[in-house]
Amino acid sequence: MRKLWKICGIIAAAAAALYALLFTVFYFDLDGKLLYYVVEPFLVKHYDKMPRRDVTKDEYKMGNL
Amino acid sequence: MDKAKLKKALKDFWYGKPHGERRLGDILEDKTGLYKHREWRGVKDTFYYFHNIWLYNYAMMVADILKSEDPVAFFKGVWRYRWVGQTYLPAIHWFDRGLQGLRGEALRASAWHYRAMVCVTIQQFQRMFAADAKLRGGEHNDYWHHTMAHKETVWGGIFYPWSDKFKDVPLEMIPYFVTCHVNSHTVLNYIDAVQSLGLPGDPCPMCQAEAGLFVLDDVPDYSPFLVTTNEACDASVASTAMQDWWFNKPLFAMPQPMQFDDPLVREHCAREIEECWKFIEEKTGVPFSYELLCKKLEAQNELQRFEWEKWDVDANTPYYPINGVAQALYRIYQSQYGDNYIWHKTDARVRKIMERCVKNKTLTFPETRHRVIAWSCAPLYYSNWCTWAYNCWGLNVVINMDSLMFDMTIRTDSYENTVEDMAQYHMWAPMRRMAVGGMHHFFELWKYMEQFNCDMVAMYDQLQCKGAQGMHGLFEDEFRKRNIHAFWLPHALPDSRTVSRAEIRRIISDYMTTVMHEEPLDPSLLEFDDSMSW
Repeated sequence: MRKLWKICGIIAAAAAALYALLFTVFYFDLDGKLLYYVVEPFLVKHYDKMPRRDVTKDEYKMGNL
Repeated sequence: MDKAKLKKALKDFWYGKPHGERRLGDILEDKTGLYKHREWRGVKDTFYYFHNIWLYNYAMMVADILKSEDPVAFFKGVWRYRWVGQTYLPAIHWFDRGLQGLRGEALRASAWHYRAMVCVTIQQFQRMFAADAKLRGGEHNDYWHHTMAHKETVWGGIFYPWSDKFKDVPLEMIPYFVTCHVNSHTVLNYIDAVQSLGLPGDPCPMCQAEAGLFVLDDVPDYSPFLVTTNEACDASVASTAMQDWWFNKPLFAMPQPMQFDDPLVREHCAREIEECWKFIEEKTGVPFSYELLCKKLEAQNELQRFEWEKWDVDANTPYYPINGVAQALYRIYQSQYGDNYIWHKTDARVRKIMERCVKNKTLTFPETRHRVIAWSCAPLYYSNWCTWAYNCWGLNVVINMDSLMFDMTIRTDSYENTVEDMAQYHMWAPMRRMAVGGMHHFFELWKYMEQFNCDMVAMYDQLQCKGAQGMHGLFEDEFRKRNIHAFWLPHALPDSRTVSRAEIRRIISDYMTTVMHEEPLDPSLLEFDDSMSW
């Protein structure tokens, strides 16, 4: 029984810590800052150097109907 | 700290600061528009925002992906397509910008509108990715064969007769339209791409961006055919020609006539819808179902009837719980995309909130000084200007042109009546009826201004729309003649470089000080730099 209480206590403490962490992320807009300063520049760099087909070389075929 | 100060601090902590003391501009980071910290709205509303908006919507965004046709395709799509990678992730910041300063029922009802738009957006891009041959080495899977592509200005209702077996996904609604609202940086790549080919920079930037998606080869190959239209203007016709070139699929062009008040033209438009249905039958091999069409139209009519109830509360009481940006975006998205389960779910939730507001006589926007109607097409990169305008000046944008365009239900009592009404709906397209649809429809502004008890007009001036520009002088004359307070908001639709957000705010503030002789409710919002904001 004591062990069970202990496990419950650990789970409750972990949940409380997680909740506090999430609230901190929310309140200080850490999600926004991570996305703005880290994720977006990383993705933009990737998209900028991605090889792309030159569509102007495509033939314009009429009468697709 | 003396006792009075302590009491005041505790009160502010518990209930949030009163409107005039919030200083919302002070919590913004310079240039980026990120928050030094998110707004403290009092215990109840801060934790509502934390649990029911921030946490809930992050969780639902993941849930929507997991529920979709091919969850793994999301990661492939993010890696492949700029418009989703750059846009999907900061979606919660889009909520923040639109919902800033809101409290109580207004916060709750407006947030549900945002949730619905995110859900429908995910449904669409996930279907695109599930069907996309570009992510599968050119393989055309079953989803590809069961997805119908169309221009975003073709109403989704056209495809209802096949909705049990096929899904329609507009070509540009997510890659272009939604991205501009959520992250205004993304679209600039597409505008620049089309100009890099030597095309002129002065046509509508919406059409430029739509064509630019193809120039950068950033459009999924998700459907065997395409239905297009000439909406909204000549520039759109030109972008359709490029889409025809680069999408390179069987295409049906279903024009929207300019003279749409003429019954003969409406008859012609109805026949074109029928031609389109024949084209779809031919391409899919599945016959048109009038029964299914009516079923979906009835569901859409239900949405319209609730919209009328909303307008009634909005027009005649101060208890309407939806702010200007949520009203505008939700309504145009819903009425253009067509029926979807999430609209019904959202409307049921909003109905409860709205009825509670009316019953309890809740003043949802208590600092309203002016009831504003917004007319013409809004700046997509700053659709939340009205949230700022309320917080800073007490300007409550109660209704807007985009909300009012599809002011009709569709009859399902006979085939002829159904097609006739569908033609009418098709012709009342975005940026058509009241933006370039003739004098009678431009000046419906006066009727709606009276109906919604507005005392001020926010007049959008899309600098690259030749049609709307032709009307500028006529409106100026009418404003003077009718003694109406109106300010003009210049913008270039998706392109935030032409007229900045700060410039839009300066124009409004100048009008409020020099013409209205009013003081701002929150002076911290008068000048701040958000030039690099999403």
